[in-house]
Order: sequence, then structure tokens, then C-alpha cells
Amino acid sequence: MTRFRLSLKLLWRDARSGELTLLALALLIAVGGTTSISLFADRLQRTMNLQAAEFLAGDLVLAGPAPVDPQWLAKADEYALSGSQTVEFPSMLLENGEMQLASIKAVSETYPLRGRLKTRDAELQDEVVSSRGPAAGEAWIDKRLLPALKLKLNDTLTVGEKVLKVTRVISYEPDKRGDFYSFSPRVMMHLDDLAATGAVQPGSRVHYAYQFRGSENALADFKAWLQPNLNPSQKILDIHRDRPELGSALQRAERYLGLSSVVVTLIAGVAIAMATRRYSERHFNATALLRCLGCTQAEIVRLYAAQFLVLGLIVSAAGCALGWLAQYGLFRLLKNLLPETLANPGGLAIVYGLGTGLVILWGFALPPLLRLQAVPPLRVLRRELEPLPSSGWLVYGLAAAVVAALIWRYTDDPKLTGAIIGTGLLVLLIFGLAIHTILQLSRRLLPRLGLHWRFGLRGLLRDSRAGVGQILAFAITLTAMALSFSVRSHLLDDWRRQLPDRAPNHFAINILPSSLADFQTDLQREQIPDSRFYPVVRGRLVAINGEAVQGRVSKDSQGEAATQRELSLTWSDRFPEDNQITDGAAWQADRPGQVSVEKKLADNLGIRPGDQLAFTVGNAQLAATVVNLRSVQWDTMRPNFYMIFSPGTLAGFPATYMTSFYLTEAQKTVLPPLLKKYPAVTVLEVDQILQQFRTILAQLTAAINLILYFALAAGFSVLFGAVYSTLDQRIYEGALLRTLGARRRLLRIAHLIEFGVLGLAAGLLATLAAESILYALYTRVMQIDYQVHVYLWLTLPAAGVAGVTLAGYWGVRDVVRQAPLRVLRR
Amino acid sequence: MINTHSNHSASAIINARKLGKAVPTSEGTLHILASVDLIIKRGESIAIVGESGSGKSTLLSLLAGLDTPSSGSVEIDGRDLNRLNEDGRALLRNELVGFVFQSFQLLPGLTALENVMLPLELSGVADAEQSARALLQRVGLAQRLQHTPRQLSGGEQQRVALARAFVSRPAILFADEPTGNLDRKTGAKVIDLLFELNQEQQTTLILVTHDMSLAARCQRTIRLEAGSIV
Repeated sequence: MTRFRLSLKLLWRDARSGELTLLALALLIAVGGTTSISLFADRLQRTMNLQAAEFLAGDLVLAGPAPVDPQWLAKADEYALSGSQTVEFPSMLLENGEMQLASIKAVSETYPLRGRLKTRDAELQDEVVSSRGPAAGEAWIDKRLLPALKLKLNDTLTVGEKVLKVTRVISYEPDKRGDFYSFSPRVMMHLDDLAATGAVQPGSRVHYAYQFRGSENALADFKAWLQPNLNPSQKILDIHRDRPELGSALQRAERYLGLSSVVVTLIAGVAIAMATRRYSERHFNATALLRCLGCTQAEIVRLYAAQFLVLGLIVSAAGCALGWLAQYGLFRLLKNLLPETLANPGGLAIVYGLGTGLVILWGFALPPLLRLQAVPPLRVLRRELEPLPSSGWLVYGLAAAVVAALIWRYTDDPKLTGAIIGTGLLVLLIFGLAIHTILQLSRRLLPRLGLHWRFGLRGLLRDSRAGVGQILAFAITLTAMALSFSVRSHLLDDWRRQLPDRAPNHFAINILPSSLADFQTDLQREQIPDSRFYPVVRGRLVAINGEAVQGRVSKDSQGEAATQRELSLTWSDRFPEDNQITDGAAWQADRPGQVSVEKKLADNLGIRPGDQLAFTVGNAQLAATVVNLRSVQWDTMRPNFYMIFSPGTLAGFPATYMTSFYLTEAQKTVLPPLLKKYPAVTVLEVDQILQQFRTILAQLTAAINLILYFALAAGFSVLFGAVYSTLDQRIYEGALLRTLGARRRLLRIAHLIEFGVLGLAAGLLATLAAESILYALYTRVMQIDYQVHVYLWLTLPAAGVAGVTLAGYWGVRDVVRQAPLRVLRR
Repeated sequence: MINTHSNHSASAIINARKLGKAVPTSEGTLHILASVDLIIKRGESIAIVGESGSGKSTLLSLLAGLDTPSSGSVEIDGRDLNRLNEDGRALLRNELVGFVFQSFQLLPGLTALENVMLPLELSGVADAEQSARALLQRVGLAQRLQHTPRQLSGGEQQRVALARAFVSRPAILFADEPTGNLDRKTGAKVIDLLFELNQEQQTTLILVTHDMSLAARCQRTIRLEAGSIV
């Protein structure tokens, strides 16, 4: 106990004398950074999931062609999940002598569980947002139905045998399915009225959906319970599965935030290591004295370990508080972009923050701290006696283990973790050795250099082990910053590419061959650019190499979905722009009987180039040979196809045409006359969905940018701190040189050279490391083409030189100002 | 009788007038040195003695231009240190002054040879290495040229420091407790060497010590008490 009190006393004294400032600051950045990012990411993710859940009108949806066993709903109650129900079916409406096929949706009292409905009045004004569907006896309808059925608000509408009063025009429905081919105008009614319609009979095409909402754990448990009970026609939808383009955007943003967290940790870890190194070097004398006075090595370790434990706890707690505040700040900054309802910050992130703080502190501070136990007691007499530096394996091994553990926790992906850590370590090892060798060789050059260069480089070569250590430390910091920047740029570019500003926001389908040319001319006249017109023939894939296709699909797979319905088949002499052949021969448009298959479906069904596929189109049979497999960007809002045939293969089958195009808000007026002229054509407006998607991406982008700036700021401040932690020796030498008559100019230039070369070496090393890690990430993990990042080669060395020189120069400026004796006396 | 001030000045290499040093502390201003007048002639050897805290090292640092006085002035070789900026003082030190410290103050990363070459390199002397080798040989370390301070004993380190101090043939040598960190026997050897080199080079020696036998080897001794010469 007395020892512990001594530890506290020493800690207090160090804190008061400023010995701990740098160390505490580095730890504060690490814990504050990781806590704020992890709180922010966690909260943002849950907010985004909330918003994304709007697309499903619930957190989890169970869908199928028949009502589910009531026991299942009772089970959901057991998990304290709230629920809602929708039933969707097509029905032909007949009013005022007009006929129109409509998609009826009967919704329960609690629908929608997530998101809101928007409705307007007859003049399509006064949009009202509501969290409930129509009351019993009422119907809300798509505005297209008003002219189509010659209806006005408050008229009656008969669905099956039930008469409903039309009260509102529905303008937004959160979970509207983008199933373009079954697209027909909506009639929404209350579930209680469903039985009275008599429209739902055995054998009718009905889509039942049960939405659930509740805590993440309860949802996960319920899902796990449901899964084995499902029959093949039933599906569970959640945001990550059902909206893949959104799900992947979220997942990648989550990963990025996780990576940023690791980056900040790594940067701060480097600072902690360097600050502890300085701390222990400044405690050599005190330790030697304690040893002289009879402290054993074990007691020395316990003494300092207790100090660091207390320090770690105090600073980590402060860091957590700081992280909590910073996270609030981030959300305030993003206030305008984020949805109104925010998820609450999770308490667990605080616990993680505290834990992370202690782990980082020990991972990075232990090796330099352990060095203290090796301080020889004789040092009280001979000040030049220093303990051996800690083993490189211990220093880098422990740090790598801590970082690997963190990356693993954030990515939950051993492959990714391995790629980053493995490549990073390999590069640092190889280039660290190379730098060491270069430093050793340049020693021989010294006598031939001018005075300034000789003194500048000598500063670096004085202790080449320390020199390499410093270069590596700065290089790691710069690498981490570069990775954060590059991955973020890649992510944002990807999103931008996915959804360019003028991405098509309208699809036109069912264009008859006879009106194709006129339709094209009309679009051109209105200066509306289209994304090509594709013929569509509806057909079903039935056999692969003579084997029935049902035998080859696994349950719940994409293949199963594709074989259970009719596919849109098309023919073309060339592929849509974003399609790329991944396997097989080039497209030979002049030979009928060929087909190109989308890669993922092909993988799912085991289709290879050369296979024979059999289709049914109506009552007829069709055979084609697979020539190649294509990758397809499904989220470009352009027509895309699983199957593209060579021209002539589908000759004789009835086809319609489809295209997509971009309309500005002002151009929307061209739609009504166009639709009137071509009554068969259906135009699908997807701008709502696009807008929603775009908003989410904008929010994620803003969040990611903020996190990046934070990581960069942390990087530079730590770089400054780290340079400072190496200055003691330089300041001492500067003072001694001045005692011997060196002029300030000489010292200044020598320092500039020393820091400049140090920064340059660190910058170059960081460039190599960042490039190698990015290469490994892109080719091994993300499977995308790798290109050399020219900007890295320009900016990183420059940033290294500028950062290190500025910080170093700033730090040693006092040496040249103060009287040398004061420095020597210290 | 040679007593006029001008005569003194002509042969004086160091002339300190009303030299004072005060530092602010939490309990008011602490006067470390108060109004010290001191003239040191060219080639003279002088010992500054006194209790710990009497201001010996402060006086030395002011005389050598390593620190600036709160009041009064110091002239070295006729040049007023107050009128020189830090660079001017550095240049003056490089030209005229050598140092030996109690704690050796060798650069740990450099070899013995490189440490000794430093002052010559700073003044741009061409055959720095040759002179440094010669002097290291003179102090008996010809076999230790490539050793770093860590590989040398305390006595050897102080001999390297002596070589570094004398290698630029300074007009004045300041020695601050040069044997303070050495055992008696080693200390005696170092001191013998110091006086021999001093003799050879006709250097003015200003020696701070509390060892009276050492002080007795100097031509003159001044005693400091509470910041004043007594």
C-alpha cells in the first residue's frame, strides 16, 4: 500500500512538472478519437438503419404468398416486438365506365412501423405527413387513378365487393417496392375492410407482409427463431438484404468509420510510444536512484505500472467524456443533413472507449516503460550508463497485436485484418531495414559534405536505431492518414459513379415496336437523353445443359428467385456501358443462338461459358449457348438484364421496348401528353427512391468527411507532439554546440536539413507502405482494379517534410534563443 | 607601481565591472551575484572558490558569455559582451574560449575523435582531423579515437573534453569543477594534464573549484561568498 501511495505521489509530481503532458495528450486523443468515432458511427449506423428501415416500413419483414401461422406472431409478442401487416394484390377497378388495373394494399392500424406516409388533397397541395394509413371505409389512391377512373376526392371506389370513400391522394409510401413490371397505381385501404372485398380467394396472387419493430437483440433472436421454420415461399427481409445497394453503402460507411477509428488509434499509439519513450528516458536518473536506495527491478516495474494504470484510467475517463462531447458536436454540425429522429448514443461505446484506452496505453507504452527496470543503479555515478533499448520484437510485435485486435473488432473480417497488418508489417520491416542500411552508408559520405549538411545529417545518424525508429513512427502516422484519405476518396467516387447527378430517374416500359420510332423522336424533340432502348421478351429459364434448373438452385438464393419468375430477355449487338465481360469469349453480334449471362446469377446456378440454356417464351422453346459472363452495375438506374442474346435469337417472339431517362423537375410537364399519346407505355417515376438514396449518401459523405478531417487533424497534432518528444537530445546538443561557438544560423540550417531529411524519408516510406496496403486491399479484399495513386507520391513526402520540419523547427527554436548554459544545466 | 586602470586594461583579457545576476523566484528576487569587479590578465591562472551556492558557476558562465548578466558588463579581449548578440558571443567563444565541464558534456553519438574535431569544424579549419588526432595522442588516448563516450571511463571522457578544449588553441580556458566527477587519483592526472597544456599554450585559465589544493596551483584565488568577492 505504501508503494502504491509512492506511485501516486510520483505520478502527481510528474503531472505537476509537466512530464506527463505529452503522454496524457496522446492518450486523450486516442481515447477521445476512438470513443467519439465509435459513438458517432454506432449512432449514425442506427440512425441510418432507422431511416433505411423506412424502405421496409419496419426493421424486419416476413413476406410470403400466404398468411403466416398465428403462433409466429405470438412469438414476436414474446420478444416484445411491435408488428404491422400489409396485404397486396392486383385488382381490376371499374368506375364511371373506365377500367384500370390497380395494386391494392390493405394495411393494419399500426402501419407503417417505420417511416411516414404522405398524402395530398385533390389539388395536389397541402402535403400531410401521417404515421397511420387510411381509416376503415376510406381509400387513399395514386393520383394517376383520378383521371384514369374519372374520380374526384370523396367519390366512392369499389374494390371487389367493398365500397370505399376516396379521401386522399397518396404521394409517398415508404416501402413501395420497385418491382417495375408489376407496377400499377396504388389503392391503399384498411386491413379491416379486406375480408369484405372478397377479392382475396384461394389461388389469387397475394403478397402478405408482416413488419416488425423492436430492439436489435430481440430482432436478431426472432430472426434466428424464424429462419428454420420458413417454407421455401417465405422470405425474411432486412435492410442489409432487401435493399442491397443501400445495404452495401451502409456497410461500407460502417467499415470506413471503423477504419478511421483504427487510424486514429494507430496515430495516437505512435504518439504514446514516443511520449513514453521520452518519459522513461527522463526517469532514468530517478530510477537509478531508487535502485540505489534498494528498489528491486520488480518493484520498479510495479511502481511505474501502477502510475500508468492510474494515469490510463483517469485520462481514458476524460477521453470518453471528450468523445461523448465530440460526438454531440459532430451531430450538431450535421444537423441539417440528418433525419430528425436520431438514435440515442449507445452506452456500450463508452465501455469500449475505456477499454480501448487501457489497451492502447499498454500496447504502446509497455516496452519503453519496461526499459526502466533495466536502468543500472551505477547510473547515479555515471550518467552516461543507459539501459539497453527494448527488443524490437516486443515494441513492434505488441503494437501490431493491439492494432490487429482493433482492426479485427471493427471490420470483423480476419482476411482484411491480415491483409492490412501483414502488408504493413512487411513493408515497414523491409523498408525499415533499407533505411537503416542507407543511414549506415551515408555515414561514410559525411566527411565529404559541407558543414551544414554534415551537422544536419549527423543529427540523424547520431543513433541510427533511434533515427530509424523516428522515421518509422512518422511513416506510420502518415501512412494511417493516407489510408484514411484514399479509402474515403475511393468510397465517395464509387458513390458518385453509382449515382451521378443526372442519373436516369424515369423508366419507360411497354413501348410497342410500332410506336418505338415515334417515341424516340418525341424524346429527342424534348431534348431528353435516353439510355438506349432495349427490346424485352418475357421468358423463363428452364434447363441448363438439359438438366432442369430447379435441381440446381439453393433455397433463398438469387438463383431461386430468378428461376421462379419470368425474366426480361433482351438482345443487343453491344452491352450496356457498365457491363464487363468477366469470363468467356468476346461478343459476336452476328451469330444468332448466343447468350451472355450476368455473372452472379451464373455463379449461383453454376452456369459456365459453353453451357446450353433452354428457355420457355410463352408456349415456345428457345435454346442458346452461353458465350460469356458479364458483371452488371444494377444500381445505375439504367436498363440491365440477366440475359442478353445475340440479335436474331429472339426473332419472332413478341417484344416491347424499354428505356430510362432523366427529367428535371421542370421537364416533368412533358409526361402527361406523352402518356396520352402512347397509352400502352408505362412510365415509372423513381426520383423519390433516388432522392431518398441520395440523401442518405450525402449524410454518410458528410459524416465521413468530418471523420477524415478529424483523423488528419489528430495525425498532424500527434506528429507535432511526436517531434517534440524527440527534441531533448537535439536541444542539448544544440546548446553544447553553441557553447563551442556554433552560430545560430548553422544550427538552424542543420536542424532544417535534419528534420527535412527525416520528414522526406518518413514521407517516402509512408507512400510505399500506403500503396502496398491499398494494393493488397484492392486486389485481395475488394477485388477491384488497382491504380498507382500519383497524388500520394506527391503529397505524402511533401506532407512529411512540411509537417516534421515545421514541428521540429518550432520545437528547437528556443535552443537558439536561450542562453546555452541554461540548457546544459537542466 | 602599476595601478592605473588603463594599464590593467591593456594587459587584461577579461574585464568584469559591477557584474550582477538576479533571478525572480516565488519569494522575491534572488541575487546570485552582486556587483562583482574582476580583471583577469592575459596568461594568468585564477581559481574561483567558495561554498556551494556562492555563485561560482554563475560567475563563470557570465565571464564566458554563456549567460547574460542582470547588471554590469564583461569585456573579453576588449569586446563588450553586452554589445554582442548571441551569435556574436558564439563567434567570440569559438575564437577565444575553451571549456571543461564537471559533467564532461561530450556528445554521446560521436566518437572521441569526432567530439574533439567539433570546435575546429565549427570554425572551418581544414585539417580538423589531424589536429584532433594529435591532441588526443597528447592526452594519451591515441588508441581510443573511435570509441564513443559510453565506451570510455570517466577519466578518459574528461581527457577527451580537455583535448576538445585545447584543440582550437583558445586564449582563455574555463574549467568548471573539472575533477568533480572523478576519483582523486584520476582527477589528479587530469589536472596535471590541464596545467601542462595550459603551460604549453599559454592559455588564460579560469578554474572554478572547491578543492583548495587545486586552487593553490593557480596564480591567484578569489573567494565568493553569497555572490560577492571577499
